[in-house]
Amino acid sequence: MDGGRDINPIPARPDEEQIPKVGVDSWVASHEGRVQRSRFLREFDRVPRPAFYAGFAVLAAILPALTSDEYIIRVGFDTLLYMLLALGLNIVVGYAGLLDLGYVAFYGFGAYGYAMLASPKFGLHWDTLAVIPVVMICSALLGFLVALPSRRLVGDYLAIVTLFFGQLFVTVYQNGNRISFLGITKGYDVTGGPNGIPNVDNWDLGGFKIGSVKGYYYAALIVFVLALACIYLIDTSRTGRAWKSLREDPLAAEMMGMPVNRLKLIAFAVGAAIAGLAGTLFAALNTAVFSADFDVPTLIIVYSMLILGGAGSIGGVILGALVVNVSLEVLRTPGHATWIFYVVLAATLLAKLRPWRVLAVVGAGTIGLGYAFHAIMSSAWPRSTRGTSTVGGWLGNGLDGWNLHPTNPMMIGNIAFVILVLAVLALTTLRGWSRWLAMIPTLYLAAFVWDNRLVVEPSITRLILIGVILIVLMNARPQGLLGTSRVEIV
Amino acid sequence: MVKRILPIAGLAAVVALAVVATAVARPNAVRSADAASSCKKGVSIGMLAPITGPAASIGGDQLHWAQFYVSQWNKVRGHVKLKLVQQDTQLDPSKASTTSQALASNKSIMGVIGPAGSDEVQAVAPILRKAGLAFASGSATRVSLTNGAYKGYFFRDVPNDSVQGPTAANYMFAKLGVKSGSSVMVVDDQESYSTGLADIVGQFLAGKGVKVDRESISQKDTDFSSLVAKVTSATKVVYLPFQLSSQAQLFTQQLKAQGKSAVTFGSDGTFDQSKFNVSGSYISFFAPDVTTIPADAAVVKAFHRQFPGATSPFGAPNYVLAQMYANAVTKACKDNKITRAEVRKDFAKVSLPKTILGTPIRFTAKGDLAGAKFHVFKIVNGKYQTVQ
Amino acid sequence: MNWNLFVTELVAGITHGSVYALIALGYSMVYGILKLLNFAHGDVYMVGAFIGYGLITVFGGAEALSINIVLLLVLMFVCAMLGGGLLGVMIERFAYRRLRAAPRIAPLITALGVSFFLENAAQLVLGAQFQSYNSFGWKGGELWTKGFTLPAQVHVGIAQVIVVVGAVVLMVFLTVFVQRTQTGKAMRATSFDREAAAMMGIDVDRVIVVTFFIGSALAGAAGVFNGIAYQQVWPYMGFQAGLFAFIAAVIGGIGNLPGAVLGGLTIGLAESFAIGYLSSTFQAAIVFAILIVVLIVRPSGLLGRAAVQKV
Repeated sequence: MDGGRDINPIPARPDEEQIPKVGVDSWVASHEGRVQRSRFLREFDRVPRPAFYAGFAVLAAILPALTSDEYIIRVGFDTLLYMLLALGLNIVVGYAGLLDLGYVAFYGFGAYGYAMLASPKFGLHWDTLAVIPVVMICSALLGFLVALPSRRLVGDYLAIVTLFFGQLFVTVYQNGNRISFLGITKGYDVTGGPNGIPNVDNWDLGGFKIGSVKGYYYAALIVFVLALACIYLIDTSRTGRAWKSLREDPLAAEMMGMPVNRLKLIAFAVGAAIAGLAGTLFAALNTAVFSADFDVPTLIIVYSMLILGGAGSIGGVILGALVVNVSLEVLRTPGHATWIFYVVLAATLLAKLRPWRVLAVVGAGTIGLGYAFHAIMSSAWPRSTRGTSTVGGWLGNGLDGWNLHPTNPMMIGNIAFVILVLAVLALTTLRGWSRWLAMIPTLYLAAFVWDNRLVVEPSITRLILIGVILIVLMNARPQGLLGTSRVEIV
Repeated sequence: MVKRILPIAGLAAVVALAVVATAVARPNAVRSADAASSCKKGVSIGMLAPITGPAASIGGDQLHWAQFYVSQWNKVRGHVKLKLVQQDTQLDPSKASTTSQALASNKSIMGVIGPAGSDEVQAVAPILRKAGLAFASGSATRVSLTNGAYKGYFFRDVPNDSVQGPTAANYMFAKLGVKSGSSVMVVDDQESYSTGLADIVGQFLAGKGVKVDRESISQKDTDFSSLVAKVTSATKVVYLPFQLSSQAQLFTQQLKAQGKSAVTFGSDGTFDQSKFNVSGSYISFFAPDVTTIPADAAVVKAFHRQFPGATSPFGAPNYVLAQMYANAVTKACKDNKITRAEVRKDFAKVSLPKTILGTPIRFTAKGDLAGAKFHVFKIVNGKYQTVQ
Repeated sequence: MNWNLFVTELVAGITHGSVYALIALGYSMVYGILKLLNFAHGDVYMVGAFIGYGLITVFGGAEALSINIVLLLVLMFVCAMLGGGLLGVMIERFAYRRLRAAPRIAPLITALGVSFFLENAAQLVLGAQFQSYNSFGWKGGELWTKGFTLPAQVHVGIAQVIVVVGAVVLMVFLTVFVQRTQTGKAMRATSFDREAAAMMGIDVDRVIVVTFFIGSALAGAAGVFNGIAYQQVWPYMGFQAGLFAFIAAVIGGIGNLPGAVLGGLTIGLAESFAIGYLSSTFQAAIVFAILIVVLIVRPSGLLGRAAVQKV
């Protein structure tokens, strides 16, 4: 895919332009730069992977000791659940290289399976130790069945068939309260329809009942660590290597005598079993299941975590889930979000603006512009400063004299938001001093929009920022945070 | 093989140790969820609503009405300052349960408005009850929610489906020419609010010998012409218990475009004069329309000044809930201290003789709206006229 | 046989299918050249729909239009297509361009990011409420009352005619463009083999920009068509539409332009006949089941070439 300099349409980043490049392949050309890592990083690479996982598990295990806040533990549980899901998806997408867009259907299948076997719905109250194997085996079988006709399909056709399957699943569960056989029999209530299945039992491990959020947190942690251990073993086994060769080049893999079809089926089944397992945890903690949780939005979140972290890397799965879910939760509170906004802005400027005099000019310019503008506006048009900062605290008070706060900021804030987006995009095309100078009003505008519009709508802002994070991170590291860059072979 | 197993075994051992260690080291008492806090710095009320996602049009409106009341309240000197803490549920029960945990853990929260959907109420109820919080929904109408399991914790200022369904069906018999042998199409939007009402009305009609054609749409649909084609000349009424009034409007318009004679009958979810206004249609609601009550004109105008754009029938009940919380908080703050239990008890007893909904609002012992009655409206020249 | 029902379902299916086809065309074009599943495409469609709505509001709102309907329609299409096209070009320039050599899944996630951003920015700026074109009310509703009558007493309004004819005109225009013009040939060459095209002296960058512009302009137009036929616009409308367009593009054979049209019509017809003759509740499930069968029988789509894997 990589061509020569004048053919290849990738514009080089300014700091890359200075590096002399040998050869036409940018990956090869920049290879040396990657090899010469610092001593610390080289030592870091020598630490065996399981040590990192163990370190993570220990940190995760002491989290509940540090806080009694059930919300934090609940977020921790959600994050672990997402990690488990991403771990399963990693097998299908990261190892075997199959684009499975029906993955959350298996998650839903596990959750509904648990809810049907352990709730008053059908009067069944199985022991969880019995439910889990049943659900996992059934999920694996379902994964096997979905993959069976998909063997012939290549690339995006596989993606679409699995997407259909996922949508089919949601529709059936959403309307499963009046399923009639070919329209002949009367409607039977199988899934509760839009009302879902409520009052699902807690996990009951042979008499040991889990009843608290903290209990589920540990259950999720133990399940995750066990799954991680299994996957680590598979990863380093013959099957794991075969999957990766399948991902890199299916044709070559087949030529080498690998059972490509069987490998695909196994990948699907293992991924599905893990998703089903995650479903049982989900159903038990939520005490109810509804089809809406197993639709495309959940799929998107899990995919983002996997790709952001780096598909094919277990550490990447952990990091990706942490980054996405924790930032989603932290941004919920406008107070936290404001701090993060200003700190991240300042830190990025500190890290990226070189040489120092540029940083000094931009920083001083932004602060100066703010006070000057505030002074002019407060005398020329007093209404533009009469509103108060919604942030509060000393940060809010400090900002109040610098930033404008009009009395009714909705309209002006919306316009400013659109201008801000355009200004940021324009900034990325500018080079040299014009960029630094243009940055000053843009920064001030960003602070204005944040204080007046974005903080007021934290729920919407949160999702806007997640979108921005995805775009920026993927552009900065296309292979994911912990993924290894590889050359796409054409 | 042994070499590979070893690190894993080590890892498992470390984890097990850590788990045991933390489990042993954590008997320190968790602070009571119901500590009294001072009223000086103001009191926080949580708000659970689908602020983003497909149901954002409902949730945004609910949030805005509650915010509007709080901002009006805070303008008056001497009032205990209220703060509204919003949490987005995206109409998703599992997200609602995480976010309600956030409210439960926030010690400054004294009561909760929402959540919007009946499923969500079910999902958050155990968490909020454990935290000792009152929670009141302005749109969850499933009958079973007030069966006593969350008595004293869950409230709603909208009547439940058991009142509305029979009112609508009886009116069809009395005035719209429906009789044994004629046919009625009942369309739900695959959400629990809608299927609940559709079930009640469908069974009621079928029990009287009416041929009921039960159909569904999805809330994402905008093309109903395929479904409208199934309306026959024998179909007298099409019952549309939708959550989105604009879908009822669209359905009716497409019905007219195809030249069908059946009349449409909407539920309280579709009650919005600016959105659903095809003349000749019927609609049931428990109160007159906020935007048409002369006494409310000033309130509605002030609301639109703060939040330009349209409003939906699910919005105004949240204004009333905020008003009730303001009353309860004021009462609880007599001694400058407030606890969740106080708010819960006072909230249950609030009785508003006059509200912007046009009816007096107070709760029954179970948390339902007292004296709930449904009115039937006919749309004449785009305006709602009370006919029953 | 109830002919009235049959013909009505046929008309409904073709109308809705035309809108799907227009969105799918853009999807398919971009895929053909970049092999990128552009999930933000549905949101360009949403923006196009809002541009049309904005114009209606500017000219006095649906009930009191201060402008001739034909003029309004022309204006709506021109603005929505230009706006959609420019948005598409901007998305390509700022979000996808640097990822052209990256693993294929990276731009996919970026596209999801763009989609998140556009949907929520639209909600922030425009509000979450459903807005309506209310074409039933334009100048006393002549868009729907006028029209002609098909056999079996099926009335077809001008609004539906505009949608179908407009979509056909755009498709013909696109076919001529792709088959006859220099740029069109460059597009086909690029989609066949980007590297070889570059070596032949084709400015690949320019071709990609043109492709994004045309594809997104079609999505913008589809937004207006949808508004005229089905009234509603709201910030999240693009998600479902994008999903269906993706499905339509794949069913027809992704990267294949006539295939995208065929795929769109197939989905539109399958939907309306499923509602009319089977079950409205399980409509979506029935459509998906049909499509799974289609793909299993023809794994590379209805009109797609059998995928030959290069070594």
